[in-house]
Amino acid sequence: MSDEEVHFESKADAGASKTFPQQAGTIRKNGYIVIKNRPCKVVEVSTSKTGKHGHAKCHFVGIDIFTGKKLEDIVPSSHNCDVPHVTRTDYQLIDISEDGFVSLLTESGNTKDDLRLPTDENLLTQIKDGFGEGKDLVVSVMSAMGEEQINALKDIGRN
Amino acid sequence: MYLFLSVSSVSWFLGLLLQNWSFSQNGGLYWPYFKGFVLDSNIFFFVTIELLPFGSIVIAIEMNGGYVNGELGQLRATMQTIEIACSSIQINVNPTAAEATILSLCQSARPYQACQFIIENSQMANARFQAATAIRVAAIREWSFLSPDEKKSLISFCLSYVMKHASSPEGYVLSKISSVAAQLMKRGWLELTAAEKDGIFSEINMAIAGNHGLDVQFIGINFLESLVSEFSPSTSTAMSLPREFHEQCRKSLEHDYLKNFYCWALGAAQSVTTEITNSDGAVSEARVCSTALRFMLQVLNWDFSNSGKVAKNSIDVYSFVAKEDSNSTYTLVQPGPSWRDILITSGHTGWLLGLYSVLREKFSSKGYWIDCPLAVSARKLIVQLCSLTGTIFPSDAGASQGKHLLQLISGIILWIHPPDVIAKAIECGRSESELLDGCRGLLSIAAITNPVTFDNLLKQIRPFGTLSLLSGLMCEVVKDLMTKDLEDEPWSWVARDILLDTWTTLLTDASGFSEKLLLPPEGINAAANLFALIVESELKAASVSEEKEEYFQPSVAAMDERLSSYALIARAAVDVTIPFLTQLFSERFARLHQGSGINDPTATMEELYSLLLITGHVLADEGEGETPLIPTAIETHFPKYVETDKHPVVVLSWSIIKFAEQSLDPNIRAAFFSPRLMEAIIWFLARWSSTYLMTSGEMQSYKNSIDDVTLLQMQQSRVALLSFSAEHTQGKTLLGIIVKISLTTLISYPGETDLQALTCYQLLGGVVRRKNICQHLVTLEAWRELAHCFTNDRVLFSLNATHQRSLAQTLVLSASGIKNSVEANQYIRDLTNHMTAYINDISSKKDIKNVSQQPDVILAVTCLLERLRGASSASEPRTQKALYEMGFSVMQSVLKFLEVYKNEPAVVYLLLKLVVDWVDGQIIYLEPHETAVVIDFCMHLLQLYSSHNIGKISVSLSSSLLNEANAEKYRDLRALLQLLQKLCTKDMVDVSSAASEDQQTSISQVIFVGVHIVSPLITTEMLKYPKLCYDHFALLSHMLEVYPEMIPKLNHEAFGHISGTLVYGLHQQDEEIVGMCLRSLRALAIYHYKERGVGRDGLGPHATSYKDNDGNFQDGILSKFLRSLLQLILFEDYSTDLVGAAADALFPLILCDHDLYQRLCNELVERQPNPIFKTRMASALHSLTTSDDLSPSADRANMRKFRKNLNRFLIDVRGFLRVI
Repeated sequence: MSDEEVHFESKADAGASKTFPQQAGTIRKNGYIVIKNRPCKVVEVSTSKTGKHGHAKCHFVGIDIFTGKKLEDIVPSSHNCDVPHVTRTDYQLIDISEDGFVSLLTESGNTKDDLRLPTDENLLTQIKDGFGEGKDLVVSVMSAMGEEQINALKDIGRN
Repeated sequence: MYLFLSVSSVSWFLGLLLQNWSFSQNGGLYWPYFKGFVLDSNIFFFVTIELLPFGSIVIAIEMNGGYVNGELGQLRATMQTIEIACSSIQINVNPTAAEATILSLCQSARPYQACQFIIENSQMANARFQAATAIRVAAIREWSFLSPDEKKSLISFCLSYVMKHASSPEGYVLSKISSVAAQLMKRGWLELTAAEKDGIFSEINMAIAGNHGLDVQFIGINFLESLVSEFSPSTSTAMSLPREFHEQCRKSLEHDYLKNFYCWALGAAQSVTTEITNSDGAVSEARVCSTALRFMLQVLNWDFSNSGKVAKNSIDVYSFVAKEDSNSTYTLVQPGPSWRDILITSGHTGWLLGLYSVLREKFSSKGYWIDCPLAVSARKLIVQLCSLTGTIFPSDAGASQGKHLLQLISGIILWIHPPDVIAKAIECGRSESELLDGCRGLLSIAAITNPVTFDNLLKQIRPFGTLSLLSGLMCEVVKDLMTKDLEDEPWSWVARDILLDTWTTLLTDASGFSEKLLLPPEGINAAANLFALIVESELKAASVSEEKEEYFQPSVAAMDERLSSYALIARAAVDVTIPFLTQLFSERFARLHQGSGINDPTATMEELYSLLLITGHVLADEGEGETPLIPTAIETHFPKYVETDKHPVVVLSWSIIKFAEQSLDPNIRAAFFSPRLMEAIIWFLARWSSTYLMTSGEMQSYKNSIDDVTLLQMQQSRVALLSFSAEHTQGKTLLGIIVKISLTTLISYPGETDLQALTCYQLLGGVVRRKNICQHLVTLEAWRELAHCFTNDRVLFSLNATHQRSLAQTLVLSASGIKNSVEANQYIRDLTNHMTAYINDISSKKDIKNVSQQPDVILAVTCLLERLRGASSASEPRTQKALYEMGFSVMQSVLKFLEVYKNEPAVVYLLLKLVVDWVDGQIIYLEPHETAVVIDFCMHLLQLYSSHNIGKISVSLSSSLLNEANAEKYRDLRALLQLLQKLCTKDMVDVSSAASEDQQTSISQVIFVGVHIVSPLITTEMLKYPKLCYDHFALLSHMLEVYPEMIPKLNHEAFGHISGTLVYGLHQQDEEIVGMCLRSLRALAIYHYKERGVGRDGLGPHATSYKDNDGNFQDGILSKFLRSLLQLILFEDYSTDLVGAAADALFPLILCDHDLYQRLCNELVERQPNPIFKTRMASALHSLTTSDDLSPSADRANMRKFRKNLNRFLIDVRGFLRVI
């Protein structure tokens, strides 16, 4: 129990705007949760009880939305958990530089050049090939807790 | 002896032959026997010698040619290949290749010679086994091409082989070959003449009679076992024949042979009894005896057609499945009067019991023990005889059945009496199987008797009744169970289940007796004592299990079945058990309060938990959504109590409710009312209130004859019981208490989802189901408080979202209690206004794009959407207006949210589901202008969704996240399809006041636009989700059948998509989906055909051939389907149930493009490898379209004829088409 409280405190430092507290019992499958200071997507929730007449606890299995690692946590269901503020922004892809960075067009007309291409082979080829063929690609960039990653790709030319 | 030789080829072999053969002599008789000879190393042939019934021997010499050098070599080579394949499977070297080799043997044409060669000559048992399989597969497939002699020779080959090699150590090969014989025999059953069958069976009979030694006797019975299981529908092997065939075989066997078989086996068993009785150690006769007994059991398990279930079985012969529960199986055995002589009057039972009692004495000696095969089969047969019933007994008021049962129970009682001694012996290491079989025997007897007969049975030979024995046994078992760990599944656990089943069988009416007979007085005492012991054991288990931390009973439902059996026992002695329960409760309540703050209350809490569950089951039945009746026992057992406050049920109920009410006090709640205890309380309240709260109505008719005074007393006592919680008395107060407790569990137990689920679904959900309760509910202060809290208090936002949905639904449903419809609508507006306002408020925020992603906003939006969804699904005619307004007011916000949350799949799904539920509840009531608005909105929604998702590729590092993303997409699409389906219903049911047609929006138009939008999103990848696949094709077939006129208007791409999915669907495994695709095809073809018939365009450009982008010539769509459908029905696997639907689709397709059909037919004929097949194919194709006066027009009569023709056609040609 004490471990978790320490854990909880430390997360509060992560910045109020990045995470929000939410009662563990209300977090559902497919929602988000912070486990071990990582933003995760919840893929499994189960409840159990501490002893027969104790209170319910939630057992979360989450997958780190950036690294894909599996993380688990147990929280009393009436306590609060941190839920990450996950946003996705669409940008048009305007260039891929040779050093592995992409150049994106923001809504305000500026460019955003600080994102790397994803490391995953499959994803990489889809972006590179699509771009190479001259398609109009829109990439969706997911960001949470100060990290960013390209996570979806759409060919707007086809609409 | 007359020797008849038939030589199929040149006679000069004969001399050589006679010089070389030898007979194996067995018991002084020549045995059917088969041998391959090698003459001069390059001549080879087979000889079959059959024993015919008239005592002669027919030696059929089937010479498979004078083998010139190559052929024998080839057979040897085949044998070698198969042997190598078999051994490589065994050592697991390249198993796929080996399997393919063996499979190719099965699939080759006429492999019999090779197989017989292998069976005869191979030294390798596995190879012989595989060769037998190949004979079976090939013969069943090519059956219609085999000559009658070939068929018979295959059967007799198998039989002769097993008889001759009866002593072979490789039993599995023998039983395989004899099962092949059985299957071939069944395949040819309707073709074989009675004399031919008798010929074969007389051999078997002689074998079983023991003339040729024990091994042959064993093999004979073994063959009958395979035969009977082949003929019994539930265990038969599929042969691609209509069910009628199996049914005919079953009837024929039952009528002509089954009883004889039984007699033979009985004879075999009896013939070896003396040897078994007289020897001290094990004798080999025991094997024959136990096999015979096993076979007799199998025969008694036969589903006899005169058992009164005839009608049901002849409709669906496969549906009959015996009650399969390993612990407690019983089926009624009703073979009918013709079996009386053998089973009842022949002293058969006495012999069997005698045999077993001899065995019992031998258990201590070598060779026999309690679980030896012979003892096990004997016991099983005895138990089976216990369930003998029906017309086999003469109609003498049960006297002869009573005698029969008495005989059996006097044998069985030795296994189970005295219970304490036997239980002790089992503790000391004795096997429990005899006791368990004894219990099963009691269960079987219970199934065919009523409680009084059951009890009297034993009284004739013992000073006590059967019920006392039963309860004595149960007590021992429960006592033993208390000392055991359930994890190991001890014997007493199994025994308890069987005995509980026995009680249930005795105490429920289901046994078909018109008049329910009550337990005799001793029986009631026994039940009361037993219940006390059961409760004691449960309480002990409860307080003990508290010590184990990890032990956790997941739900009430897990214990349900056992508890309902307990409840039946308790109700049998309800006037004792209810006060007993009351006393137990009051002791525990007192203990809880005395020990307050001093002792740890958990043990007591756990005891209360168990008691609440037991009491709930005793007092009320599970309603399963309906209002359950008050249990008859409770209505009739308390005639003495006519005052409400003295009625034992009232005393018990009131004490529990008063206890539950204490949970409203925060201090007491913190001290005693753990979430788990609260769960039991809520569960109890839900169950109790659905039976007793504000119940009215008449007493159930009571079948037993009683005097009027008692009846009047019963009625008065029932009135007294009900007036405790009636509408005009305390009912409303009790309802108030229940609502208050509910609110407490929702607010004061944060995060306890199980508890809250029980409160929302079981308790509150059950309460609003009843209209008369709703009337009082809406006037209650507590209910208003709940509604107020729900609308205004943020604390309920922390409930699980689905619970909020259910709560919203419950609150809206309670409006049905408001008589005035204006007020009811206003009540709903008051409930929903805040939610819609809140939603609109969020969606109209300027910075919504940024704010929306914040988890707290997402949470709020999710909760609100769930609540709206709950309210939408509570739509009723009277309150429809208010709910329409609710939905209407959030339409814009929904579209807005769909935009801003396009990357938040959970919210998107909720939005879609909200719309689906709302449309579902509203669509049939909507006026034309409202319909237009709703449809416009739905189209917007579809387009928006489509624009966000089409062409989108989700990428993710983790495969599980990717799977999640796919699953989300699937759920969304399914919701969209559901939305379209709901919109379709407007065309079916419409209760709006719209007068003229032209005001209506055309639903068909809408559906087509919808399909246009949705179908590109549905890829074949997505169709791998079975539910989505089902929905997609259901919608498609509906659309094509109802609105085929819209098809020509679809553009090429959309149509291509539809036809693409149809092609995909045709090759699905799921029968229903293929059926829907066939219906779609039929609709398309018929539409086209009819339109063409009146000179219109039909499917227009879609149906004509065209040149594709690469310049290749492409067939029109109907022609394509004609091709693929023919391909499907001729060459692929599908269920025979689909033939009708396929015929319906094929016929109009043929009519649409007759030229192509002719071309395809010619191709088919040309493809046949030899002239015989060619003619056969051609004539089959010819009669497909001409026989039965089929004329080329797609009307009903012709469709029906074509169905028949196609069925015949397929039976004709599929056999050889599939082989080649």
